[in-house]
Amino acid sequence: MIDWYTANSVVIQATMTTLLLALSIQLPLRMGVFSFAGVGCFGIGGYTAAIAFTKFGMGTWTAVAFGTVLAGVLCYLLGLLVHKLTGLYLGMATIAFALIVSVVATNGGSLTGGASGLFGALGGITNLHVFLLLAVVIIGLAISEAGRFGRKIDTVREDPELAVALGINVTRYRKLTFLASGLIGGLAGAVTTLLRSTITPAEVNFHLVVVALTVIIIGGSSSWLGAFIGAVFITWLPTVLSFVAEWEPIIYGFVVALAAIFLPGGILGLVKDLRHRRGARRGSTPPPEEGAAAPPDDEPHAPEPSRTPVPSQGGAL
Amino acid sequence: MSRPSHDAAEPQMIFEADDVAVHFGGVKAVDGLSFGLPEGKIVGILGPNGSGKSTLVGAITRHVPLTRGTLRFLGKDYGNDRAHLVPHRGIARTFQTVRLLEERTVLENVLLGTDSLSGGGRAERRLAHERAQVAMQRTGCEHLAKERPDELSYGNRRRVEIARAIAMEPKLLLVDEPTAGMGRAEKEEVSALMMSLRAEGLTQLIVEHDVQMMVDTCDILLAMNFGKLIVEGEPRDVVRNPAVQEAYLGKQAVNHA
Amino acid sequence: MQELLNTLTLGSIYLLFALGMALAWSTIGILNFAHGAIFVFSAFSAHFISDFVPLSMPAIILISVLVGATLSALTQWLAFEPILKRSKNHRSAELRILIGGIGVAAIPIALVDWATASAPFGFANSSYSTQVYEIMGLRITNTSLIVIIAGVGIAVGLTLWLRRSRQGLGLRAIGVDSETASLMGVNRTVMAIGTMAIAGGLAGLAGALQVFQLQAMGVETGDQLLIKAFAMIVLGGLGSMAGVILGAFVLAGAESLIFAANMGTWVDAVSFGLIFLVLLVRPQGIFGRQEVRRT
Ligand SMILES: Nc1ncnc2c1ncn2[C@@H]1O[C@H](COP(=O)(O)OP(=O)(O)OP(=O)(O)O)[C@@H](O)[C@H]1O
Ligand SMILES: [Mg+2]
Repeated sequence: MIDWYTANSVVIQATMTTLLLALSIQLPLRMGVFSFAGVGCFGIGGYTAAIAFTKFGMGTWTAVAFGTVLAGVLCYLLGLLVHKLTGLYLGMATIAFALIVSVVATNGGSLTGGASGLFGALGGITNLHVFLLLAVVIIGLAISEAGRFGRKIDTVREDPELAVALGINVTRYRKLTFLASGLIGGLAGAVTTLLRSTITPAEVNFHLVVVALTVIIIGGSSSWLGAFIGAVFITWLPTVLSFVAEWEPIIYGFVVALAAIFLPGGILGLVKDLRHRRGARRGSTPPPEEGAAAPPDDEPHAPEPSRTPVPSQGGAL
Repeated sequence: MSRPSHDAAEPQMIFEADDVAVHFGGVKAVDGLSFGLPEGKIVGILGPNGSGKSTLVGAITRHVPLTRGTLRFLGKDYGNDRAHLVPHRGIARTFQTVRLLEERTVLENVLLGTDSLSGGGRAERRLAHERAQVAMQRTGCEHLAKERPDELSYGNRRRVEIARAIAMEPKLLLVDEPTAGMGRAEKEEVSALMMSLRAEGLTQLIVEHDVQMMVDTCDILLAMNFGKLIVEGEPRDVVRNPAVQEAYLGKQAVNHA
Repeated sequence: MQELLNTLTLGSIYLLFALGMALAWSTIGILNFAHGAIFVFSAFSAHFISDFVPLSMPAIILISVLVGATLSALTQWLAFEPILKRSKNHRSAELRILIGGIGVAAIPIALVDWATASAPFGFANSSYSTQVYEIMGLRITNTSLIVIIAGVGIAVGLTLWLRRSRQGLGLRAIGVDSETASLMGVNRTVMAIGTMAIAGGLAGLAGALQVFQLQAMGVETGDQLLIKAFAMIVLGGLGSMAGVILGAFVLAGAESLIFAANMGTWVDAVSFGLIFLVLLVRPQGIFGRQEVRRT
């Protein structure tokens, strides 16, 4: 066990930081908010922590806290600006935000180290620390997925108009999701940077959005558990199958496209669906549904339910 | 175009609309409606397709912005409320197209009605569960509690939606075409449910195309056409009114007489 | 003046790229995130073939256009159509198409990256040679001329075709309301695949011309251009081809100004900032109409 851990500690670390980044994007998606601002916040958190650590001599955890909070605040402000946008427009605006962070970092002179980035920001973070931080984030997210809170969030995503009719303050949920996403993204950036000791503007790019999305789409977007599955999948697959490492981008491209087409709920959605189906078969024999079989009556207005026969995927996309 | 005349003997109005209008660009979906909902009564709205009934319901719940007019509930003007506050005042609605969370069970869908309106404490959660249970019993879907909505018949989906609204324990219930797509037997159940809710004092506004059911269920009927109120009064009188017959029943009277 | 000419050339390439994207997005509602990858891969295919057989310019362009059209149509047929069929609502479809596009894009990009070892590629073996003309003190290359004529010509042609022709009307009907359109006898699937083929062909054309103009292309060009094209489309207003034309030249102009001011490292911020500004101030774009969505 110990041997296994020491042999794999780098991969374990990568899994955890990738997961943090993915969670920062997954939370807004769970609310139906197409925000990729978490990636920009990753940059903000990373740079802030690195600057605080190397230029201002702050301790590791003060620097991490600075990066996290600043990213959260900026993301919240961004949310106030853009929360009315929907769909792809919001997605692109937040991608633009992430890329602007990168351009600003490139042009930040000696403060940000320009195009070559910042070096020597090796903080005193261990895998255990990352694990504990991750646990805190996951507990918070698990609470947001359970019970009333989880139902409300699902409604905000699936049908905002219905959510409003049930008394849910959809706008507030949307705005707060920016704050939470910024905090998680900032934390991910700060921790990753102080672990690796460097950050460059080139890291905060479209590719990072793709990585985060890949994790979520493979694992499943409806729960942190999905992101966990996805993070494990993409960090461990290349170590297990060496041919994967060689063809990594192509394989991931295929996997992501296939998941988008066939598995919108990701691996987690698939498992949940199978479980539900098995449960339903084992469960009570449904009582006779009186009237259910009655033909729709002669009402000219009765709209026939035009429900598309979509296999339910248990996912949240 | 006759403005309704209110008797002095009429009971307290729980809700009042005054000159309410909703225009979408050039489309005057609702165009200057004034009416009241007497406490504890069932008021029905009839009107041909596109006459603005659903838009009116949306206006009452603040889902659609008002072009002009005022809305009063329990004596308070709430025309400037944001929409999510309306349920907190005690107004619940159902939608013309059934809107459920397909990946949650029926029970959870009904619980959603209580989720924002009650606190998260243990006792309150249990109370919410009881309310949901009762709501499911009354609408006849308690045996479906563990099913997912996507496995249900259309009529049963409707029941779940009504149950969710009842679980909100509103003071005013707005239902938009609750029996669309149901068979005759199911319709009668829904109608009986509404009357039993009325017996408990719940005020209801029903939009429905089934004239027979409306006449049987409602205390007052409003007939709309082109966003305007054309007649208001006793259900039988309204249905017999020539203006209504022409606007609405002309093509349907055959089916329902 | 010389600046203006350079802007015009740059803007024309932007335009060709963005036109295809705008066409697909505004008519069949597909924002294809693989559009940039198709752009790169088409140009690369032409490069690859021209390394074996020396080709003339038209042949290279033809190859690039055909590869682009094929790739784009395949993407629609194999990825986006199935997604549309399996999505329960618009929001879910939108996200899945975005992700599917990103996934598809990764494949050709990885192939090019692998084949070129991440080095820029060009059409070194082509029989085409650049010539410089001097007209009234302005220096213009034959490539620039071709680029500008192709860009502006195709943009105007496409705009007119959409407005006037029967197919164009059918396409626009899909954009407005696909149900009505299918009642009008428009076969949505065929139309969609056809539209995507045109879009991909335009990407291929833009790709080949870009390589002729700049002598070389890097693998990462596609992603950058994708975001720039988005900026152009939202600036002009989705649904308006005239808007795309305006957007392309405004962006090219703004970028040229930034370069002229010696602030080259900020150049990407122009398009990102533009996206932001437009979405906040006038989300429907300059020529776009306010969207009216029925519930
Ligand atoms: N969001 C909207 N934007 C533009 N026009 C709208 C919108 N909602 C409704 N309308 C228009 O307003 C009018 C009234 O629509 P409404 O849905 O209220 O009618 P209805 O009486 O409920 O009809 P039905 O019996 O078919 O349900 C219609 O002409 C409709 O097209
Ligand atoms: Mg209606």
